[in-house]
Amino acid sequence: MTALAFDEAGFTYPGAAAPALAQCTFAAEAGAITWLTGPLGAGTSTALLLAAGLAPRHTGGHRSGAVRTLGVDPAEPGAPAILGGRVALVLSSPAAQLSGIAETVAQEVAFAPANLGWPRERIHSAVDRAMEALGIAHLAARDPSTLSGGEMQRVVLAAMLVLRPALWLLDEPTSALDSAGRALLHDILRSEAARGAAVVVASEDADGLYAVADRLVVLSGGCAVLDGAPQDLLRGDAVWDAGVGSTTIGTLARVAGVDAPRPLTVDEGVARWTR
Amino acid sequence: MDTVTPLVLESVHFDYGGDAVLSEVSLRVEPGEGVALLGPNGAGKTTLTRLAMALRHPRSGRVVTGGRDTGGRRPEDLADVAGYLFQHPSAQLFERTVRAEIAFGPGRLGWTSGEVERAVATVLLELGLESLAAHHPYDLPEPTRRLVALGAALVSSPLLLLLDEPTAGLDRAARARVAQVVRARRAAGTAVLAVTHDLGFAVEALDRAVVLERGRVRLDAPLLDVVGRDPAFPAPPLLELSRRLGFAAVRPAIESLAPLLTSRAKFGTLEA
Amino acid sequence: MTLAPGALAARAHPFTPLVVTAAIAVAALAVPGPGPALALYALTLVLVVTTGTGQAALRALVPLAPLWFFLFLLHGVLGEGGRVTVEGISLSRDGLALATTQAARLGAIATASLAMYAGFSPSRFVDAVAEREWSFSVAYLVVATLLALPRFRARAAVILEAQRSRGLRLRGSPLSRIRALGPITFPLLLGALAEVDERGFALETRCAAGSARRTALAPPLDTTADRLVRWLAAGAGMAAVAWRVVG
Repeated sequence: MTALAFDEAGFTYPGAAAPALAQCTFAAEAGAITWLTGPLGAGTSTALLLAAGLAPRHTGGHRSGAVRTLGVDPAEPGAPAILGGRVALVLSSPAAQLSGIAETVAQEVAFAPANLGWPRERIHSAVDRAMEALGIAHLAARDPSTLSGGEMQRVVLAAMLVLRPALWLLDEPTSALDSAGRALLHDILRSEAARGAAVVVASEDADGLYAVADRLVVLSGGCAVLDGAPQDLLRGDAVWDAGVGSTTIGTLARVAGVDAPRPLTVDEGVARWTR
Repeated sequence: MDTVTPLVLESVHFDYGGDAVLSEVSLRVEPGEGVALLGPNGAGKTTLTRLAMALRHPRSGRVVTGGRDTGGRRPEDLADVAGYLFQHPSAQLFERTVRAEIAFGPGRLGWTSGEVERAVATVLLELGLESLAAHHPYDLPEPTRRLVALGAALVSSPLLLLLDEPTAGLDRAARARVAQVVRARRAAGTAVLAVTHDLGFAVEALDRAVVLERGRVRLDAPLLDVVGRDPAFPAPPLLELSRRLGFAAVRPAIESLAPLLTSRAKFGTLEA
Repeated sequence: MTLAPGALAARAHPFTPLVVTAAIAVAALAVPGPGPALALYALTLVLVVTTGTGQAALRALVPLAPLWFFLFLLHGVLGEGGRVTVEGISLSRDGLALATTQAARLGAIATASLAMYAGFSPSRFVDAVAEREWSFSVAYLVVATLLALPRFRARAAVILEAQRSRGLRLRGSPLSRIRALGPITFPLLLGALAEVDERGFALETRCAAGSARRTALAPPLDTTADRLVRWLAAGAGMAAVAWRVVG
């Protein structure tokens, strides 16, 4: 089932000279992890905002073409009521996403479910599970404003996991996490996809996502220029032509003059260069 | 001529009124050294850098930055010897242009306008920001703003650079740039102390690891003895590759490894 | 100011301190003459001490002291009417009475406000509103307003640290102090504005824009004593207004 579909979608921010997205077409399926990437300014963050309906509702600006999120147009006035709790948008800056009124991390994680009117018992057990899953149970009583960047990022992720959304939209969700935290998140995304959720991640962390993502969509100049299996695309030249790179080893291989298909992992690199 | 030790901590103890955040921490950072301050969240890493900048003062023990005891001193008293990059640097930007923003610090320190201009130009070049010099910092994307803030910390050519997660939120190109700048500054004698979880950046730009755990120094050793050897710090891809290919002595960066691999491809297996 | 866990101010239902503070403010503006005003200030001090927020009384003196000084200077020295001599200085009797009234009014309002601030818990307040099934938007607005000042101060502290680390000096000549304002106020205001923007955004991502009734996570107890106090306070406030209008 298609959870998210962009059909020749375009978007221009208010006062902007050029559109952020233009004739952008791609889809994200339920049960799959779709990885969105592109050079700086390619429109990946904008695509997530459009999918969540925050653009144009909060940002202003003009949208063209069609966007359908879980079957509805997210820009419609009635959309928040239908999509509330079913779409989780994780912004790239966790501090910006805190409620501002929670005195403890547990309250912060409980914020959205409480807003949705869930019964108290359900909230408490879901919050405990989500905090366990993100390894932040020991932070339950802490004041969210005193957390480090990495801890805050885990709190926001827990606050979304608690909702068990049908569609995840994540913008650079591992920017403040260490390698253990990144691995943890990737495990969670895998299990969310296995549960049937659609996961869309905008990220330039090729090392992290090449093995986790089911699909890679590359945006350039506001439209989708590549769409396919991540490993296939990362081994080739097309990702470089599109202004995106590959994994660290893939990048090294290209700079070292290796032709496509290039190694992506350390193991493959060792095999390639020990001939 | 006596060279000043950029940073000395002697048996430093610090708490916020409750449990100890730092206990019996002693540390020396010499000119040109690059220290990666590693460890789990809450281990006291950021606090240590804040003590070095006199943003806080130790409950007991001594912190000496750029030859000045921080006791009784304020951050502005150390601004000419230490540069601090905060974790959320966007909060401090206020000038109308990138150039003015970077020029702010030296202006406060009483430099002549000629000196300021030269220092700013150097930093803009170093960070690849020349084309953005006249732009308003707030119009720039977040990663670029972080580079501007780094420029502001570098411009007064401090003896000690204190960096708190300098590569967080940066794309690959910007991360490489920061690594390059840190190495260049170290080669020129600047001491660097960076709180970081980005081990790829650390092995490229720094040479020493100080691991803090629960406020104590668990380990103080050469970085390459720790990364990829201590289970808490897995080797980033280039380091692992270079070790397995027998290039352990080569700096684990693309620009240093690629030429070796190109020649290996041409001539078959080389003696490493 | 941290409250002791057992303090009355911490245990009371969240609406109670708000109503009491509002009543004190209304009464303070309404009461005529120095006597009643002083009595109200004294009452406020007693309330503040007995509810465990006694520190507010001292904290309030910081802004109050200079205000009181100016009041007595203004009305005492420059006032009209019959004079009295104190320590060789001629002061207006009516002026002194007026200054006392104003000073006591300000004292009551400032002390009550600080005490209320100290005991304010955003989560308990939001839960109290949710329990009554009132609108979350209203609750959020009240909380955001009350928290605006502490957030502003926290933000200012962060900016100050960053600018001082770049060499900004706060001491020195008046001119240099004025010049020091720019690097602090600019990012402060820009940041505050950006935050307002961000906040609306963020709240929607956290499902706060919907119309569902919010669940109270830990509904605070609303005791008979709480309700009694609120009714008495409201009544006293209105009585003060009536006294002023009639008397």
